[in-house]
Amino acid sequence: MDELRAAIAIGKKDLIVLSRYRIAVVSQIFTPLYQGVIPAFLFGASFAVAGHVVGLDATVGTENLAGFIFLGGVVSGLVAISFWSMGMGLRNEMDAGTLEPIWLTPTRHETIVLGRALGGLVWFLLSQVILFAIGIFLFGLRFDAAIILAVPALLVAIVGMVGVSYLLAGIVLLIRDANFFIDTTNFLFGTASGVAFPVTLLPGLLQPIALLLPTTYAMDLLRQHAIGARPTFDPGLEYVGLVATTAVLVPIGLWAFRRAERIIRIRGTLAQY
Amino acid sequence: MSLIAGDLRAFLASGLKELRILRRYPLNFVGGIFWAALLPAVYVLMGRAYSGGSDPRAVAAFAERSGTTEVAGFVFVGYAMYMWLSSVLWGPGTSLRREQIQGSLEATFVSPVSRLVPLFGPGVSALIPMLFSFLVTFVSLWLLFGFVPPLGSAIPVLVIVAVALPAMYAIGTLFAAGVLRYGEIGPVVQIVRGTFVLACGITFPVAMLPGWAQAGAAALPPTYIVSDIRAAVLQSVPVSALAGDLFITIALTIVISIMAIALFRVLEASARRSGMLGRY
Repeated sequence: MDELRAAIAIGKKDLIVLSRYRIAVVSQIFTPLYQGVIPAFLFGASFAVAGHVVGLDATVGTENLAGFIFLGGVVSGLVAISFWSMGMGLRNEMDAGTLEPIWLTPTRHETIVLGRALGGLVWFLLSQVILFAIGIFLFGLRFDAAIILAVPALLVAIVGMVGVSYLLAGIVLLIRDANFFIDTTNFLFGTASGVAFPVTLLPGLLQPIALLLPTTYAMDLLRQHAIGARPTFDPGLEYVGLVATTAVLVPIGLWAFRRAERIIRIRGTLAQY
Repeated sequence: MSLIAGDLRAFLASGLKELRILRRYPLNFVGGIFWAALLPAVYVLMGRAYSGGSDPRAVAAFAERSGTTEVAGFVFVGYAMYMWLSSVLWGPGTSLRREQIQGSLEATFVSPVSRLVPLFGPGVSALIPMLFSFLVTFVSLWLLFGFVPPLGSAIPVLVIVAVALPAMYAIGTLFAAGVLRYGEIGPVVQIVRGTFVLACGITFPVAMLPGWAQAGAAALPPTYIVSDIRAAVLQSVPVSALAGDLFITIALTIVISIMAIALFRVLEASARRSGMLGRY
C-alpha cells in the first residue's frame, strides 16, 4: 500500500511539474498535430480519387484516412510516453540533481518508474481526448462504438510498455546521455508497431521484430474495432501474441532495470551525468 | 576600408570557429544519417499504404496534385529540404543563444567588429550539415528505393541550391535575431520548422492546402526551392524554365535579409537597455 501511495505521489509530482510549463503543455498537444497528423493526413489525401482514399481501402480494408492516422497517434503517443516520460524520466531527475535523494528514500526503485508511468498515462489520456476532439471537429474523424472493445488490448499493451520502460530506464541509468538513443529507438519502435503504415509493408527483416512488440497487436486490434480495418492476423491469435509478448517483456524489463541499478551502485555513477 | 577588411577577417574567423566546433562533435553526423535516411523512407512506405501498393488510380491522383508519379523521389527531395531547414534553424538560428548560454555573447559584442558579423558569421557552419544531408538523402534514395536522379539534373540543382543558399541563410539570421529579445527559443524552432513543413509542400503537394495557405506559401522561399529541385530531378525541367521562381527567391532573400538586419538592430538596442544580453 505504501508503494502505491508513493507511485501516486510521484505521478502527481510529475503532473504538477509539467503543468508549470504551459508552453510545453501546449507544445505537447500541438507538436504531434502539426508535425505528424496534419502532414500525414494531407499526404494521404493527395492519393484520394474523387474524395475516396481507394489505395488505403485496398491496403487495410477501410478508406477512413483520419481514423487510420489518429488511431496510429494513440499507439504512437503511448510509445512516446513510455520512452520519454518513463524511460527518459530518470535522466531528467539526474539533470535536476534529484535522483540521488529519491534513490535514498525507502521506496522501491521499481516504484519510481511505475509512478512516472501513472503520471504519464494521465497526461496521455488527457492529450488523446484533446487530439480526438480536434480530429472530430477539424478532420472529420469518425470511428465505430466498437472501439470500446479495443480497451482491453490497450490496457494489456500499457502493461507491456511498462516492461519496456523498465528496460529503457536501465539503459538510461547506464549510458546517461541518452537523448539520441531514446529519440531514435522511440521512432523505430513506433514505426515497427505499425503506427504509420501496416507492418506488412515493413522490409522483410523488420517484420519478425514487429511481431515481438505488444503494441503491434494492440495497434491492429484497435484499428479493427474502431474503423473496421482488415486484421493482419486472426484476432484470437493477435490477443495471444499481445499477452505473450507482454508476459515476456515485463520480467525482462524488471531484470534489466535491477541489473543496471546494481551496476551503477557498484561503479558509483548514480550522481554522474 | 580597413574597417571593412577587419570585419571580413572577423567574419571568416567566426565561420571558422563554428566549423571547428562542428568538427569536435562528429557523433552529431550519425544522427544526420539516421534521420535523413529513415524519416523519408517511412513516408514512402506510408505512401505505399495510401496508394494501395501503387494502385494506378491513386498514383494518377497524386501525380495530378504533385506533378510526378515518383513518390519516393518527391518525398526524399522534400525531406532534404526539411533537413536543410533543421540545420539552418538549429545551427545559425540558435548560435547566438549558445553564445549566451556559454557566456561569450557579451564578450563578442564588446569587440569593435560590426554587429552583423556575429549575426551572419555562424551561417557558414550550416553549409556542411546541408551538403551532408543532401548526400545522405540521395544515396539512401538510390540504395533503398533504386531511384537515381538523372545526370542532367545536376547543373539545374546546383544553380537552384546556389540561389537558395542566401535565402536559407537569411531565414536562419532573421530567426537568430529573436534570441536577443526572447532568450530561450528551442520551442519556437519547433513551431517555425513545423510551419515551414506545413506551408511549403515539404511532405505533401502544396495543392493540398486551402487557398489562403497557398497564398502564404508563395511568400516563403523554401516553397520555390523544394518545388524547383523536384522539377529538375523528377521532371528534368531546365533552369531556364525555372528562372521566374529563382528571381522570386532572390527578391524574397533581399526582403528577408533587410528584415533580419533591421530587426537585429532594434532588438540589440532593446537588449542593451534591458540588460537582456547577459540574461538567460
